[in-house]
Amino acid sequence: MNRVVVVGSGVSGSHAALTLLERGHDVELWDVGRSEPPFPLHGATFHELKDRLADPIAYFLGSGLDALVPPASPELLRYPPSRAFLTSAADELWNFTSDGFSAYGSFAKGGLANGWGANALAFDDNDLAEWPVSFADMDAAYKTVYDRIPVAGPIDDELTPYLRGVHISQPPVRLTGSDRRLLDTYQRRKSKLKKLGVTVGCARLAVVTDPSRADACDYSERCLWGCAKGSIYNPRQSTLKDCETHRGFRYVAGRLVLALRSKGNSIDGIRYLDVAARQIREEACEAVFLAAGALQTGAIFLRTLKAARAEAAPRSEGLLDTTVVKIPFVALRSIGHPADARSFQFNRLIAGIVSDESTPWPRYLHAELLHLTSLIYHPLIERLPFDTRTSARLFFALKPALGVATLFFPDRITSGNQQRVVDHGGITERVELHYRESEDKERLIRQSVATMRAALYRLGCLPRGIVRSPPGGGIHYAGTVPMGEGAKRCDATGRSNLFGNLYIADGAAFPSLPSKSITMSLAAHATRVARLAEL
Amino acid sequence: MAELLFPLWQIDAQEYRAVCTHLRLTPQERLYERLSRYLAEAPFRFPRPGGFARYLAKPRLTRFRIARLDAITKLFLPAHPLRHVLNGVIALHECDPQGYRELAVAPLGWRTLFTVFGQALAFVANLSVSLPWLAWQWIGYAAGAASRPADGLAGKRALITGVGHGLGRDLMLRCLEGGAEVIGVVRSREARDRLQAELPSCARATLLVADLAIPGALSAALRESHIAAGSVAIAILSAAIKHDGKSVLSLPELRETFQVNFFSAVELADWLCGATSDLRVESATMADRDGSAASGVAPVAAAPPGAAMGDRALSSTTRVVLVSSMGRWHGMHFSGGYNASKAALSIWGESLDMELRQRGHRRFTVTVVEPGIFASGMTRQTAFTRMLFVSREKVADRILSGALAGRPAIRPPGWFALLTWAICLIGRNNRYRIFASAKPRPDR
Repeated sequence: MNRVVVVGSGVSGSHAALTLLERGHDVELWDVGRSEPPFPLHGATFHELKDRLADPIAYFLGSGLDALVPPASPELLRYPPSRAFLTSAADELWNFTSDGFSAYGSFAKGGLANGWGANALAFDDNDLAEWPVSFADMDAAYKTVYDRIPVAGPIDDELTPYLRGVHISQPPVRLTGSDRRLLDTYQRRKSKLKKLGVTVGCARLAVVTDPSRADACDYSERCLWGCAKGSIYNPRQSTLKDCETHRGFRYVAGRLVLALRSKGNSIDGIRYLDVAARQIREEACEAVFLAAGALQTGAIFLRTLKAARAEAAPRSEGLLDTTVVKIPFVALRSIGHPADARSFQFNRLIAGIVSDESTPWPRYLHAELLHLTSLIYHPLIERLPFDTRTSARLFFALKPALGVATLFFPDRITSGNQQRVVDHGGITERVELHYRESEDKERLIRQSVATMRAALYRLGCLPRGIVRSPPGGGIHYAGTVPMGEGAKRCDATGRSNLFGNLYIADGAAFPSLPSKSITMSLAAHATRVARLAEL
Repeated sequence: MAELLFPLWQIDAQEYRAVCTHLRLTPQERLYERLSRYLAEAPFRFPRPGGFARYLAKPRLTRFRIARLDAITKLFLPAHPLRHVLNGVIALHECDPQGYRELAVAPLGWRTLFTVFGQALAFVANLSVSLPWLAWQWIGYAAGAASRPADGLAGKRALITGVGHGLGRDLMLRCLEGGAEVIGVVRSREARDRLQAELPSCARATLLVADLAIPGALSAALRESHIAAGSVAIAILSAAIKHDGKSVLSLPELRETFQVNFFSAVELADWLCGATSDLRVESATMADRDGSAASGVAPVAAAPPGAAMGDRALSSTTRVVLVSSMGRWHGMHFSGGYNASKAALSIWGESLDMELRQRGHRRFTVTVVEPGIFASGMTRQTAFTRMLFVSREKVADRILSGALAGRPAIRPPGWFALLTWAICLIGRNNRYRIFASAKPRPDR
C-alpha cells in the first residue's frame, strides 16, 4: 500500500488520515504540533476557578494581561495566553500579510478545532448549490463522520427539515432558565415569527451529554477555556487517538510544510520548515493530502504552483470568509431571574432565517442564540452606553437576561478576493490575503440583521446595536483551491487538476461557504476525498 | 511607593483606592500592582490622548473627578486614560474571587427593576453635575490654549544623556510617553540594568553606557551604537555633576566637572554635526589655514556601520538642547567649578549656534536651558530652597516644548530668572552677602 502524507492535524487532516488508514494505507500526518497546557481543576466551574486557582488573573487574562480587552476595541473576547491554540500575525511562524483581513490559524495539534463552537450541522443541497457535488454525494461521508463524532440535539423539531444530514446520538444539551423562557415565548408567538422566516430550536452540538458516559458534559461553563473533560469533540482527543490504533499511522510533529516539489504532473517531494532546527528540508513522498486549513493549504499550493508553472500567476482562484455579526439583546422575561449555577457555555439555542423557494441561495441563514452565563465581562461592561459604575451595576443586575444573537453570513467566490504569493525574502515566501466584502453580502447582512432584530422584538427581547467582526474575524475560511475547472482548482473528488497525486482535503476545496457551521462538512469532505482517492 | 513612570496613564495607590471606592470595590494591593504594570505599558499600546482629553488627564484623580470623568469620558472623550484605568480595574477585579463577588451582587425579582431605575436616575443625576463641570473645565482649557505647547514628539528619535535619574530620567519618560523613541545614556551598567528593569519591555528605549567623566567615552559609545546621527531629532545633554563642598581650586574635581558638564556637550555636538555635515572639516581646514592646531576637535571619523544608510529616516531638523543652569550667571564658592562649567556651556552653546548659522547649517537649532533650582539631587533641600523649587516634571515639559519650538533659550521658571538677574545687578559685594549663607550639600 502507498505511503501517504497528510498535512495538518485538525478536523480535516485527522478524518482524512483515519479514512486512509481504514482503507489500509500507511499514513504520515505532518504538523507543527504545538500543544496546549493541561486544563486545570477538572470539574470546577468557570467562576469556581477564581476561588481555586492560585493565580486566576494569570489564567484568565495572562500574566501580562494580554487578554484584557482595551476600551473601544471591537473584540468582545480574547483568548488568554494559556489557550495557545490560536495564532495570528504576531506568531513567528505566521507567513501571511494582509490589508484589513484579520486572519487566524493554528499550529496546535488538533488545529482550530481546539476552540470551535461545537455546532455540528451538515450542508444540504441548497447549501451545496455552487458545488459540483450534491448532498447525495456527501451523504455517506456525513454518516461516517456523525458515527465518529457524537452530536447532541433534538431528534426532531421545527428546524429538522432545514438541517438535513444531521445525525443525533446524544440527548440535547441542558437549557438554562433564560433559554427555556425564550423557547416558551417562541412557542407562543410562533406564527408571527414564521412570517419573518425565523425558526428557533435547540442547537445541534458535538458534545457528549449522555450522563452514563464518563466523558459526559459536567456543565462547568468552561467551553471557551478548553473542555477539561473532553466532552466537546476535539480531533486531538478522539480521531487522532483512533488513528494511533492503526499500525500504519505515524504522527510527525515540528514540521511546517511550505511547498511541494513537482515532477511533471505529480508531486514527488515536500518542502518544509523543521521548526526546531529552523532549517528548510525536503522529503520524498508518493501522495499528499493537504489539510492544513484553507489559508495554509492555499499558500502551500500557490508556492508549489509558482515553482512548477512559472507562467501561471501565483494567485488563488478565491478566498472565502464567513462574516460574523452579533446582535446583543436583553430578554425582558428573564429580568430578575437568577442565573443558573452550571450550564453549557456555548450557545444552546439556534435560529434559522429561512427564505422562500424564490431565493436561490442561501435559503437557510444560520444564527446562534446565546444567553450569557460565564465570560470575562469587562469588554461587555465597557460597551454599555453609561459610565463604568452604572454599566457594571446594570450589567450584573440584567446578566441572566442578556444575550447575543450571532449571524453567520455565507460567501461565494468573488473576483479580487484571493491569496497572492509575495516574495519578501525571509525563510518562507509570504502570502498576501486580499479580501473585500461584496455588495451582495452587505445587502444580505442588512436584510438579515433587520429580520433578526424584528424576530428578537417578537421574542420579547430588546436588541441593541450590532457588533461586526472585521473580515477574517469569523475564523471560517475556504475556497483557496476550490473545486472546479482550471489549473488552480481541484476536481469534485478533491484531486488537484494539475497534480494527479495531490488532494485538497480541507475547506480550501469548498467552492462556496454556506452559512451553516462548517466543521462537520470539513470532516465529511476530508473523509470523502480520502475514500475516493485513487492511490 | 514607587514613583510613577507615566503619570498621565498610571495612577498611584491613593488614586486607585478612590477608583475602587467609586466602583464600590475593595482595593487590593496585589491587583493595584498588576494594574500599575499594565498602565505603564499604556503609552506604547494605546493612542495618546490629545487636546482637551490630555488637559483633563493631568490633574490627580479624586473621587469627585473620577465620578465626573467616568461619565464624560465614556460619552465624549473615549481616548482619556481613565477609560483604561476603569476598564482595567473591572477586568482585574472580575477575575479575582472577592472582586467578582462584589461586582456580581445582583438583585432578584422586582428589586431588579428598582435597581435598574435607580441606576438610570443616578446616571442622570451624575450628568447634571458633570456637564456643568465639563463646561467649566473647557473654559479653563480654552483660556490656556494659546500658551499650551503642541505635541511634537511622536515618531521622533531623542538622544538624552543622564537618564539614570533626575531631570534626564524625566525627560526620557516624557519623550517615551509622547511617542518618541529614546536613546538614553547612563553612567554605568548597574544604572542601565536598574533602568531597564524599571521600564516596560515594550518601551522604545535603547540604553547606552558611557561615563561622561572619561574623555571620549560618549563619542565612543555613540559610534559603537551604530545609530545614524542624522536620525536624531532631539539631542539633550542633561547629564551633569556637582562637587559640593569642594574648592574651585580642587583641580581633579574641576576637571571632572568640566568634562561631564561641558566637554561631553562638545562630544555630543561633534557626533551630531560631524556625521551629517562638513562642519568639522571646515573647522579643521580653517584651523590649519590659521596654522594653529585644531585642539579638542577629533579628526573626521568614518561613518559607523549603518550610519550611512541609517536605521531610520533622517530627521529634517535636529534640536540640540544643552541643560545649563541659572547658576551660570554668578559665581559660587565651594562648588567645584559647577557654576563655571555651566557658564562655559551656555556661552559655548550660543557660540555653536552662531557658528552653525554662519555656516548655513539650518538642520540644527541650539537651545540653552537655564533652569532655576529643582529637586535634582544636586541642591541641598532646606525649607527655604524647597520654597524655590520648581517641579522637575514642569521643567522637563518646558524643555521639550521649547526645544521643539526651536527656542534659543529657556529659563524656567521666569520669576526665578528675574530674581537671579536682579541679584546679579546689585554688585558682587551684595551678591556675596546673599550667597555666603548658602551651605554646600555634602559631596556624594
